[in-house]
Amino acid sequence: MSRHRRSLVAGGILVGLTCAAALISLLWTPYPVSDTSGGRLAPVTAAHLLGTDRLGRDLATQLMVGARIALETGLGAVVVGGTLGVLVGIAAGFAQRWLDDGLAALLDIVIAFPTLLLAMLVVAARGASLGSAILALGLAMSAVVARLTRILVKRVLAQDFVTASLVSGTSWPRVVAEHVLPNIWPTLAVNLALQFGLAVLAEASLSYLGLGAPPPNQSWGRMLQEAQSTVLVAPAGLVAPGLALVVLVVGANLVADGLREVADPLARRSS
Amino acid sequence: MTEPSTNVKEHIPVRKILTAVVAVAFGLGLAACAPDDGPSTASGADATIDVGSLYEPQNLDNTGGGGQGVTEALNGNVYEGLFRLTDDGKVENLLVSDYSVSGDGLTYTFTLRSGVTFHSGKPLTAADAKYSLEKVIAPDSKSARKSSFGPIGGITAPGDSTLVVTLKTRSISFVYNLSYVWIVNAGNQSPTTTADGTGPYRLASWQRGATLSLSRFDGYWGTKASNKDVVFHYFTDASALNNALLTDQIDIITSEQSPDALDQFTANPAYRVNDGASTTKLLLAFNDRVAPFDNVKVRKAVYSAIDRKKLLESIWGPHGKLIGSMVPPSDPWYEDLTNANPYDIDLAKRLLAEAGHGGGFSFTLDTPNYDPHPIVATFLKSELAKVGITVTIKVISADEWYTKVFQKHDFVATLQEHVNDRDVVWYGNPDFYWGYDSPQVTRWVRQAEQAATADEQTALLKQANRQLAQDAASVWLYLYPQIVVASTRVSGYPVNGLNSQFYVYGITKREG
Repeated sequence: MSRHRRSLVAGGILVGLTCAAALISLLWTPYPVSDTSGGRLAPVTAAHLLGTDRLGRDLATQLMVGARIALETGLGAVVVGGTLGVLVGIAAGFAQRWLDDGLAALLDIVIAFPTLLLAMLVVAARGASLGSAILALGLAMSAVVARLTRILVKRVLAQDFVTASLVSGTSWPRVVAEHVLPNIWPTLAVNLALQFGLAVLAEASLSYLGLGAPPPNQSWGRMLQEAQSTVLVAPAGLVAPGLALVVLVVGANLVADGLREVADPLARRSS
Repeated sequence: MTEPSTNVKEHIPVRKILTAVVAVAFGLGLAACAPDDGPSTASGADATIDVGSLYEPQNLDNTGGGGQGVTEALNGNVYEGLFRLTDDGKVENLLVSDYSVSGDGLTYTFTLRSGVTFHSGKPLTAADAKYSLEKVIAPDSKSARKSSFGPIGGITAPGDSTLVVTLKTRSISFVYNLSYVWIVNAGNQSPTTTADGTGPYRLASWQRGATLSLSRFDGYWGTKASNKDVVFHYFTDASALNNALLTDQIDIITSEQSPDALDQFTANPAYRVNDGASTTKLLLAFNDRVAPFDNVKVRKAVYSAIDRKKLLESIWGPHGKLIGSMVPPSDPWYEDLTNANPYDIDLAKRLLAEAGHGGGFSFTLDTPNYDPHPIVATFLKSELAKVGITVTIKVISADEWYTKVFQKHDFVATLQEHVNDRDVVWYGNPDFYWGYDSPQVTRWVRQAEQAATADEQTALLKQANRQLAQDAASVWLYLYPQIVVASTRVSGYPVNGLNSQFYVYGITKREG
């Protein structure tokens, strides 16, 4: 098995684990999410595979539900950021000089703005919710995606066959659909997979700061925050969500790695 | 000339070595300039006491909404009132040497202590006392005690050491309330950033986000402080605060907020864990003006649906105390009312049915975003779901809470901690944020304030308190513990957390 395939498979398994946990949690969890019958900080036992938190809630249950929130945020941010970013990027790619320069400068400014700070502004304006987090992370991501898209579009537009197509009177929406998108999507897909991992991490940071999905939605970031004061007596509460984050983010990065080598024939030939 | 060597080590250019040397020297220089964070090794009267706290003041003015950190660091240490509230809740003369009350209880004449000077060197006069009291009752004052000075009719300073206050109605708590009023230098133009008080310490420096340092004031009128300097170190995280004590960065923690971290201190003979009396109550406060919480039965149903014992154990383990009303045990009118609204799910369901909410209802709980409110809200949501009530948790910041809930009364229910003692009287004010409006209770609170004797006052406030519990005006979830953890090297610190004050002048440190 070639290296890129190994990356894809390994990444797929890791992301798949999270997806499986999230999907199963829709149908079944070891305990109801808000069941507080487990006793305060119960140790790891067969009844509670990861122990319980201060309120007596099962941590394994919370971890499964947290997987759902992590995936929802990651995918949501990728959809928002990807759509907006690709649209703006294509517009900038096709734009004339001054508009192109203006858009490029705007994107640089948005990228220079720290993601968490932007997210805090959005949360301050809209109130803390999963939707706010997705919107904020999507907005931040869209600038990165737009900048990449703009460069890719410019590169495709410089090709002779595109010039020929434009000269022969093909409308620009058709050029986008027939020439631009097919040529830029592999690189975009790699980038979006990476951005997915970053969005998951950023959501955990927001929840850790109390700015993510409000309780009782157990995001992994909130689990980390709540377990922090009890780490000496119940370390599983901190280790479990931490590991879950690592699994999902490393998985997303491996998938991106695998996709990159699939998408880039040069890299494939040399591997 | 030697042969070129293949050994890389011998080829490090002189310039690089010089750069490294300069860098190391610079680093050492920086380290030497850095403030010494660790506790001083000096002991006895020259000791520096390092205090760790989670409550950094927002500003230095106790009429400017600076938060409980202002009281903790400055009250009694840098600023003094005409009276002092001792650690065990008694009121004693401080900047007054004597006072008299007229027969009708409406005129108070205070004689100021002589020989008192501010840290700036200016002598204390009655004009300063008048200015200080007027500052607290001014329209822009954010003092929590502002409303309790409503009876004040006039303040005059007929002599340098005489202050006369006339009241419109009797106010038995007037002297007690004066213990909250800092006597400040009337000439201090920027009280939010500088301090000029009469206390045993002057403010040495305040590095926002890090430390606030106090130095012994040698011109102090009374018994000088037992230590030379006190440095308050501020932390935003309870674990970091505990680690600071474990690594000797600080000597004492003013208020432990992480019960699970206590084992490491109780098991270690180098530390002492003190469980003192607290006046901090955690409330589920309804907006009693709006449906469905304008209905007593709904409020009582919610009260009975919550297992407070389990909540307290979840948050605080074996610490803290259940209360059945706004009154903590340290208030003179305390009564055990924990059974006024027993934990009884069947009773809760029955009350809901009687109130016409047999099918349950939904409400939004405005939840401050800092510990322990989010986790408490989660617990309440799970408890109330058992009787069919759906809680939507809305997380808001402390600032939002102040404007939305406290000022605009734009809420249905909220969580909040109330730190003051003797604050049950706020239920006598129908305009307070929770909107409890019982003419009977308002009358009792007013009569208690105008009572001629403390016994009469106590009897009336007990009556009011029983009524509040009967009406479930709010849900008083629990009384916080007040846990001071300290190194056994230090002694003489206060252990009770009345109003979050923390007198440091008696703290001593021995070598070791």
